[in-house]
Amino acid sequence: MSVLDIVATAMIAMGLFFFLGGAIGILRFPDFYSRLHPAGKLDTMGQFAAMIGMAIYLLNDLSLGSVLTALKILLIVVFVFITSPTATHAIVDAGVRAGLAPWTKESREGRR
Amino acid sequence: MRAFALITVLMVGGLLFYGLPDFPDWGDPASPASTHLSPFYIEQGAADTHAPNVVTAVLAYYRGYDTMFEAAVIFSAGLACFFLLRTFRQKSIETRLYRHLPTGVTLRIEEGGKTPEGSDEFEPIDSHWVPYDMIINLTCRLIVPFVQLFALYVIAHGHYSPGGGFQGGVLFGAAIILYAISTDLRTAFKRLQEKAVMLLSALGVLIYAGTGVVCLVLGGNFLDYSFLAGILGVDAVMARSHGILIIEIGVGLAVMAVMVMLYYNLSSAGRHDEGL
Repeated sequence: MSVLDIVATAMIAMGLFFFLGGAIGILRFPDFYSRLHPAGKLDTMGQFAAMIGMAIYLLNDLSLGSVLTALKILLIVVFVFITSPTATHAIVDAGVRAGLAPWTKESREGRR
Repeated sequence: MRAFALITVLMVGGLLFYGLPDFPDWGDPASPASTHLSPFYIEQGAADTHAPNVVTAVLAYYRGYDTMFEAAVIFSAGLACFFLLRTFRQKSIETRLYRHLPTGVTLRIEEGGKTPEGSDEFEPIDSHWVPYDMIINLTCRLIVPFVQLFALYVIAHGHYSPGGGFQGGVLFGAAIILYAISTDLRTAFKRLQEKAVMLLSALGVLIYAGTGVVCLVLGGNFLDYSFLAGILGVDAVMARSHGILIIEIGVGLAVMAVMVMLYYNLSSAGRHDEGL
């Protein structure tokens, strides 16, 4: 097992950990806005770590094909990094414009 | 009545389960499906069409006639949406919003008021107008060219990797819809008019069927691309490969235009004046 393998495994495990945190957050947070927080942030971070791990794993045998595939994976990372937070922003924006009030400790009893 | 339905469902389900053991195993090489036609496609596909992706070879060459009608079905779905939703009523003069461009002041003109239509200084804006959102707008402007490039890649690379006209067309249509969502319907109309969309959707199916007719004229069967070799200046195998690409482009055009047409009609309830 090479150093690259260990790094790749660690990265993928880290990505899965972020995904797990995101899933728990979506289930456990109290309202719409706070649920979008783990959905937007942790999923982006999780896919970043997992994808980088896969790219590093591919670089184990250094050839033109594997480097190209790793670059494609990096492209996916870049595009998800741009689009995923924007999508979360758009959803939150729509929620605010539709008049959904954010959750506070005081509003806990009187929740609709 | 519900008991009757339940009995029917149970009987049909029971019959299905009764017939299940007679089916060949999943992926059984001796099953009828994989003894006659599939080996022929797998062995001959690359040699016949110079397309390593067997799916593309089957879809666009061996079963080209079938796929032509798939494209036609998509085209008629777009037409159905057009005829059901599109309304050509005179612009009803409800409350309208106009923005004065030099000052940014928004005028609200009630029903029956005089609208500054045709003036350069006023711009009509949607009555559900929401303030310009810079983040979404900039991101979409950044993303749209890449989505379009990827769509073209998917269409052109269908011979070698998963993809082809349908998928690429959907991606291209999604790019235009993304542009329309991130700005508004009017801005999208400036880029791609309704007439252009209608023409493109028909043109896509025409390219497909026209390729078949050209093959027919040149003495082959309908959609037998090897007879295009004379026109394209290549041998028969490469002519099939190019023929597949031509009809994929046709399918891509039709699918893209139909996607955009559906969006235009659905988002503005057929009025094409204001929408998302």
